[in-house]
Amino acid sequence: MIALKLFSKILVANRGEIALRIIRACRELGIKTVAIFSEADRDALHTRFADEGICIGPANPLHSYLNIPAVISAAEVSDCEAIHPGYGFLAENPEFAEICEASGITFIGPRSEHIKLMGNKIQARNCAVRAGIPIPPGGVEGVSDPEEALQGAKQLGFPVIIKAASGGGGRGIRVVHSEASFRTSFSMAQSEASSSFNDPEVYVEKFIESPRHVEIQILADNDGNVVHFGERECSIQRRYQKLIEEAPSPAVNEELRKQMGDAAVKLTRESGYVNAGTVEFLLDKDGKFYFMEMNTRIQVEHPVTEMVTGIDLVKEQIRVSAGHPLGFKQDDIRIQGHAIECRINAEDPEDHRPCPGTITFFYAPGGPGIRVDSAAFESYYITPHYDSMIAKLVAHGRDREEALARMQRALEEFVIEGIKTTIPLHQRILATMKFRKGDYATDFIEEMKK
Amino acid sequence: MDIKEIREILRLLDRYGIQDFTLQRGDNRIRVKKGGLLEEPAQVRYREIPVAETLPSAVPAPEGVPGPTPPSTTGDQLTVNDNQFLVTSPIVGTFYRAPSPESPPYVEVGSAVSKGTVLCIVEAMKIMNEIECEVTGKISTSLVENAQPVEYGQPLFIIDLV
Repeated sequence: MIALKLFSKILVANRGEIALRIIRACRELGIKTVAIFSEADRDALHTRFADEGICIGPANPLHSYLNIPAVISAAEVSDCEAIHPGYGFLAENPEFAEICEASGITFIGPRSEHIKLMGNKIQARNCAVRAGIPIPPGGVEGVSDPEEALQGAKQLGFPVIIKAASGGGGRGIRVVHSEASFRTSFSMAQSEASSSFNDPEVYVEKFIESPRHVEIQILADNDGNVVHFGERECSIQRRYQKLIEEAPSPAVNEELRKQMGDAAVKLTRESGYVNAGTVEFLLDKDGKFYFMEMNTRIQVEHPVTEMVTGIDLVKEQIRVSAGHPLGFKQDDIRIQGHAIECRINAEDPEDHRPCPGTITFFYAPGGPGIRVDSAAFESYYITPHYDSMIAKLVAHGRDREEALARMQRALEEFVIEGIKTTIPLHQRILATMKFRKGDYATDFIEEMKK
Repeated sequence: MDIKEIREILRLLDRYGIQDFTLQRGDNRIRVKKGGLLEEPAQVRYREIPVAETLPSAVPAPEGVPGPTPPSTTGDQLTVNDNQFLVTSPIVGTFYRAPSPESPPYVEVGSAVSKGTVLCIVEAMKIMNEIECEVTGKISTSLVENAQPVEYGQPLFIIDLV
């Protein structure tokens, strides 16, 4: 293990808290870092924390953080051996991974072919079928003709869900409850898919009513070793965007964890996937689970898994990319205690509209079991150019009760002035009986607002 | 021109490894010449600050206490007067003064330039991007040494407008 070399310098192709997260992992591993930044991020923390920094473009992410030639050129002029893409931006762009490979720069993540495979939801579903993993009925091929799609929907029985083949981030999704509204929803999903992902292909599957969203974290090395780290419960969402995640899930017992974990490992093996990834499942009321999609990146909510397993997933990603075999086996992974993450966004807690502005006062909570991943600070200006998430507040405890108590205590301590945040919304959610009992599904926020 | 500005200029010259520099603004003229010291190559690298120093604090730093060094210096910090034009790099890459190591530089200090004159090359991803002049004038200052990395927005030349 020790004899194997790690990288000496890594370019961090991201911004905000995840860029900081990667820089921290590199520092602990003794790896130098190069930050890239846009003109709007000159004073951002990732720019300051990295060993070097290179301005790669203007504030508009299309010309900076999404500008592949600029990112590659920055890696070349600074002699970086590898690029960590974080999440978002170029993290799941197969073309970018391919260019890195062609330029002799290690892309810290899966190979481009796997990003491409899992990026197409229809191909991913077929891969799951080959691996023997249940998927919701329907949707093994794309449809473009509304009449043909309607026939398919009738066979499945309403309600159905129409999804974009290249989808993500909750766009290009329509739930249809009856035949009457099918045609309109179908064409809307098509045009949304076309405008958001430049690919009008959609598919229709049976809609699983009020499911839970439960995902399995996996890690695979180049020698064919695959382990899973148990599940994350991500059902607290609004507009298909996660707000609170916890591990373990209140709805998953040891037996189900093993089944879902085995399924995720099988899919990973079937596809030949390498590095960290997340297999997302829908879990219905009867405890049946269905493959939804695989995310080929480190995820926003990875800290909850780190807190309960004690494993630094970002460091593991770097080690695997440098060719190291995994230093542990499935039996070595132990889930200890309970962790919850609240995403603190700069947004109106009522209508969820992003709320850019300057933070006039910032005090992050601390104390036992609290972890704050944030790139915000006092006088930090939240630009409208990027994501509205400003902090991830994570609480770990012996059990769920202690983790909840710590989270509530930390939410009270957290002071962010000058902008509106989701802190009050989190406090309301945590105060509900349903959440406290762990009895909730993806429709929780909608139901709470009624 | 005050001491703060001169300090800023000195810092810039150091950063880009410039040996000889003259700036004239109206009646004010400043010339800086480095000598006797080993040349330190200009780099994109700009600092190594211990993390503790850059940690944001809930308590604002008192006025006058310098904060962390700004990460980089580009067009918005180097100011030119109304009769001058600052050419900045439109891309991240490697700066070349000439089309090949044997060729003479595209331009030198004093060269007359006009719209469309090629000033230099910035190589990014093995592609040679010719940087063309957008104004008519005379090269007053060349800010980057040959074969050095440049970032987006980094000043390359100061041109005296005609």
